[in-house]
Amino acid sequence: MKIKEGNAGLIINFELLHLLNSRGAAKDTTRVMASVGRSEYKVYDYLVGTVACNQTKEHINEFLEKSQKFKLTKAEILSIINTRPSQLVELDPIMCRQIVEQQEQRPELDMEELLELILQVLPPPPSETEPEPEPEPVDEDNNKTADAEKNVPDE
Amino acid sequence: MFFLSLIEHKLRLPPEDLSLPLPKGIKKVLDGIFLDKVIANLGLCVSIYDIRNISGGFIQAGEGAPTYTVEFRMVVFRPFTGEIIVAKIIESDNDGLRLSLGFFDDIYVPAHQLPQPCHQIPDPDRRYKVRWIWEYDIEDTGNPEQYNIDGLDEVKLQVLNVSFPPLPIEQQEKPFAPMLVTVSQPSTDQYLNVVWGQFHGGD
Repeated sequence: MKIKEGNAGLIINFELLHLLNSRGAAKDTTRVMASVGRSEYKVYDYLVGTVACNQTKEHINEFLEKSQKFKLTKAEILSIINTRPSQLVELDPIMCRQIVEQQEQRPELDMEELLELILQVLPPPPSETEPEPEPEPVDEDNNKTADAEKNVPDE
Repeated sequence: MFFLSLIEHKLRLPPEDLSLPLPKGIKKVLDGIFLDKVIANLGLCVSIYDIRNISGGFIQAGEGAPTYTVEFRMVVFRPFTGEIIVAKIIESDNDGLRLSLGFFDDIYVPAHQLPQPCHQIPDPDRRYKVRWIWEYDIEDTGNPEQYNIDGLDEVKLQVLNVSFPPLPIEQQEKPFAPMLVTVSQPSTDQYLNVVWGQFHGGD
């Protein structure tokens, strides 16, 4: 086995969830027929409990576009999309890894504005939007469109 | 948390899989070899992303199955230092906490990284485990509130270090963990208060 490229690109949780869904992880309730292994199902179960399950490509693209003016690093964008901080105090650890450097380079970085952009563009986690658990997806429709319809931009 | 890795591997395709279309057969063998295994200094292999190139297919002398050289991309789990991850507590003892992501169980918070000030009390339910209690004084009244760090909450953590201990030669008591992620609570005081408030049953 040869590792040709140790790092061929970062993946956000949403992309991995999308990959597993495209293989049929969501539709197959018996978990036997889809070409998804048992360990992959464990990852799927984890991802479905995070904010990634409500996100769509449009959300991600919109966020990437609108956050360009903040000049965020890749790692920060990744962390923000994966965890969707909903308060200033949650945004702090993501942004302040090397405080001194940041203050010199980007003194005009407005955390509140960034937070508002996040709250506006990225959908909230499932525990905030729906009080009761989602029904089992047994229908033939594409799960993603169903989720996109249920999405309500919050606050 | 996840990244792609380009890997080249030589594998043998067993005869019973020869009736499948080639990419499917190859993927089946790759799944069996790599899924849910840790590659040293790379990470935990989660899933095959795509297959870039298949070559070979020759049967070598003395063997009963064709050998293929496959180049493919794989999704690997390895959080980078400073990343924020969300996990659940599964164990708590003298040295600190152990957390789980469902597919990965070896995330440790060493005791000194727990939010200070905190102390431990022996857990009434389980013999060798302890329960950590975090005292946080929100309004500086000198009367701190006590938050139980127990298994009900989800915790947001910042990754300090990912290590790959080498295979042990002798048998150890604990099952061997090929990949260890050490985390800490992010350093801002305010942050801790909000996070605990949010996840601790809505209090």
